[in-house]
Amino acid sequence: MDKKNILIVDDEINVCKSIGRAIQCEQYEVERALSGEEALDNLKEKTYHLVIADLMMPGIGGIDLLKSLRTSFPEINVIMITGYPTIKTAVQAIKIGAFDYIPKPFTPEQLRSVVARCFKSEDEKTEKEPPVTTMPKGIYYIIGHTWVIPEKNNKGLVGVVHDFLKTVGRITSLQLPNENDNVMQGEMCAKIKDDAGYNYGIWSPATGKVFEVNEKLKKDFSLLKKSPYKEGWLFRCELTQFEEDKESLLLSQ
Amino acid sequence: MYYVKQSFCKMALKQIYNRFLSLPLRAKFIISFLLVICFGGILTLIFGTRLEHKTIFSLAQDKVNHDLASARMVYNEKLFDIRDIVRLNSVRESIQNSLKTKQRETLFKHLSLIRKEFALDFLTVTDAEGKVVLRTSNPEIWGDDQSSDPVLQRALSGKTVASTQITPREDLIKEGKGLAEKAYIEFIPTPKAVPLEKDHEENAMVLKAAAPVMSEENEILGVLYAGIILNRNYEIVDKVKEIVFKGEMYKGREIGTATIFQQDLRISTNVKNENGKRAIGTRVSREVNQAVLNKGKIWVDRAFVVNNWYISAYEPIKNINGDIIGILYVGMLEKPYIDLRNRVMGTFAGMAVLSVIILLIILTVITSTIINPLKKLVVATNEIAKGDLDHKVSTNLKDEIGQLATSFNQMTDNLNKANQKLIHWGKTLEKQVNERTKKIKEMQDSLIQSEKLASLGKMAAGIAHEINNPLTSILINSHLLLEKADNPYVKESLDLITEETSRCSSIVKGLLEFSRQSPPKKVPADINSLITNTSALLENQLKFQNINVIKKLDSNLPHIKIDTSKIKQVIWNLMINAAEAMPNGGKITLSTRFSKDKKSVVIEITDTGKGIPQENINKLFDPFFTTKESGSGLGLAVSYGIIQQHQGHIKANSKVSQGTTFTVVLPIT
Repeated sequence: MDKKNILIVDDEINVCKSIGRAIQCEQYEVERALSGEEALDNLKEKTYHLVIADLMMPGIGGIDLLKSLRTSFPEINVIMITGYPTIKTAVQAIKIGAFDYIPKPFTPEQLRSVVARCFKSEDEKTEKEPPVTTMPKGIYYIIGHTWVIPEKNNKGLVGVVHDFLKTVGRITSLQLPNENDNVMQGEMCAKIKDDAGYNYGIWSPATGKVFEVNEKLKKDFSLLKKSPYKEGWLFRCELTQFEEDKESLLLSQ
Repeated sequence: MYYVKQSFCKMALKQIYNRFLSLPLRAKFIISFLLVICFGGILTLIFGTRLEHKTIFSLAQDKVNHDLASARMVYNEKLFDIRDIVRLNSVRESIQNSLKTKQRETLFKHLSLIRKEFALDFLTVTDAEGKVVLRTSNPEIWGDDQSSDPVLQRALSGKTVASTQITPREDLIKEGKGLAEKAYIEFIPTPKAVPLEKDHEENAMVLKAAAPVMSEENEILGVLYAGIILNRNYEIVDKVKEIVFKGEMYKGREIGTATIFQQDLRISTNVKNENGKRAIGTRVSREVNQAVLNKGKIWVDRAFVVNNWYISAYEPIKNINGDIIGILYVGMLEKPYIDLRNRVMGTFAGMAVLSVIILLIILTVITSTIINPLKKLVVATNEIAKGDLDHKVSTNLKDEIGQLATSFNQMTDNLNKANQKLIHWGKTLEKQVNERTKKIKEMQDSLIQSEKLASLGKMAAGIAHEINNPLTSILINSHLLLEKADNPYVKESLDLITEETSRCSSIVKGLLEFSRQSPPKKVPADINSLITNTSALLENQLKFQNINVIKKLDSNLPHIKIDTSKIKQVIWNLMINAAEAMPNGGKITLSTRFSKDKKSVVIEITDTGKGIPQENINKLFDPFFTTKESGSGLGLAVSYGIIQQHQGHIKANSKVSQGTTFTVVLPIT
């Protein structure tokens, strides 16, 4: 297997170095650029498989870089990182076409799991596997993460979208919230660990209080991949500000 | 120069006008009315007297003209009397016979009787040649030729004639004794007369008549002529006075006068001088002299005669040849007319003065009805100015002044009320000031608090961004080291580093959340069930900490518009705070009620904890203020921000070692 070329773009050299150290291994060839302009120069000379870019940089910012990558190099995956995380910028980045979005600060493990997921999805693409399933209509979702189906009395059912699950290996462990736990949109609400040993944080699509957890899923993790929109749901919660939350969600057609 | 004069006039007028403006109202009224009355009065007086003067004097002149005609009649009558005497005697047989025979004694016997009877000055007979046969008044002198006399000449030619004539002194001497003396008049100096060289008059003005004496054969035998000297003869003038003026007197003076002038000399008159004597010897004025003697006109005008003003008429007296030889004059004393005019004018003026007085009285009364209420108003305003606001203006007038008084009273009423209010206000001012000061302090505090929050929000965003970058490096590298660490000592240190870095991360996250306070989404909600639900989440956990939750909720509260998730967060924060204040257990009381004015809902969360020292109460809602080891210091600041976004307020009351009460007030609408 060829080495994967990864380009890290951040205006702070120490952050670049640290990220490089966190993901450095035999399979990856890591390079860094200290600005959007430098990154674009690098991209002209060499083929990269992944770009990890900071959202806020002087000159060409992360979003601009992402946009030009989407048009010039649509095959390259991009992971956005930011020191000033908001759900709006996260959704914006993913809508434009980022693979994922990680708020600073993060642990090496969090980063590695996203990178691993990224390459797994790339492998799938190359293998031209048909998608496991498609998304049913009428579901509010965050691209590549989670969905929520509003129910009666301001309640909502929450689950993980199939695009996310494609990038994850066999699930070895699943950590769900407890009843009466509060969850917030864009915050981690569950964790998945796969057979590769990576931990994946799952963002909640809405804000509210959990009142029911899928007990079946706790016993059989495979339900998640088999039926991501039905038996594989995560939890039910009371939606406290769904009207506001909707602004950051997409509706499946 | 003209402009200077004009501007001076303007200035003077302006000064007068200004002085007028500064006069009292009554004076203004009276002066204005007087000006109008005087202007009208003077005009009427001027034109009235002119008219009256003209009327009276034209009447007087008509009368004097008429009187002159009467005087002429008297004069002519006398002349014709003499003519009749000579004619009647000339046809007497005895006279004819005596003259034929030249019997002078017989003639004298007949004629001297006649002369005496008719008071003739002379009665003389001549023969057919004009030679004197007999002078009855001077028989010694006869035989002289008189045929050159114009009157005689006409008689010698067979006519009976009569005329006025100037007879020279030598003829007078011949005609009779004493006649020349009678005619002799010395001039009395008269200032207005035409100056003359001679100082006396020796000739006489004579009324003369002559008739021819005829024979039976109708031949002229001679002439009979007679005459009366007018000098010092007052018969005619007195007769005129008697017939024309009927001897009327006015204040001791005769009204009517008549005079006969020989040339310009008074020879017969009843005009009296200062001594009461007839003013013989004075002469006529130059004016009359010119008009009557020279030009032969009738002259009618007022004239100063001797020592009084007369309305006079002069007419020339002519001799038989038509030459002017003297003047006939009549005059009415002007004084009665002047007095009449003055009386009329006096009456007129008196009436005017009387009307002015009456008008003034009326004016005073009328102005009083206007000015007295105004004076009252002035007195009232002075009283009010002195501070007597209870003063009232009494008036029963219904006009504008009455209205003014009414509105004035109303004004003072209002003023009084306002004053009372002011006094009352002054009394309560201190209290109000204290209340307001307290309110201002509260507002200021809240303003400071919100400013703190706002600037902190901005700062937090900046800080979070900057700090997250180094935190990323620290977190990644400490984790990488941890992955490689075998030494438990090193591992423990690295664990501490990663743990603290994570804590930093969560503090920054809290800051960011705080800086991103989104506007509240308000929906009507039941605050009691919101509190119950929030409390239910914590109650189980609190039981383990030996804390009881007691709820005293007013079930009558209405639904209020709130952002339920944010208010839940506040209740949550306050309950966690309360629990943390009671590490050894206690109770939390949750209560809801209406505010006193029923416009707000009051939520109170009371604990029985250690309390908060007074010096910390004010810092309680400051961001990063915390007394807990593990607190971020943002919980209460965030709560404060949320309540503020709901137009409510939050405050804390605490007593050390007794407990703390947090009060949240949310408006109902």
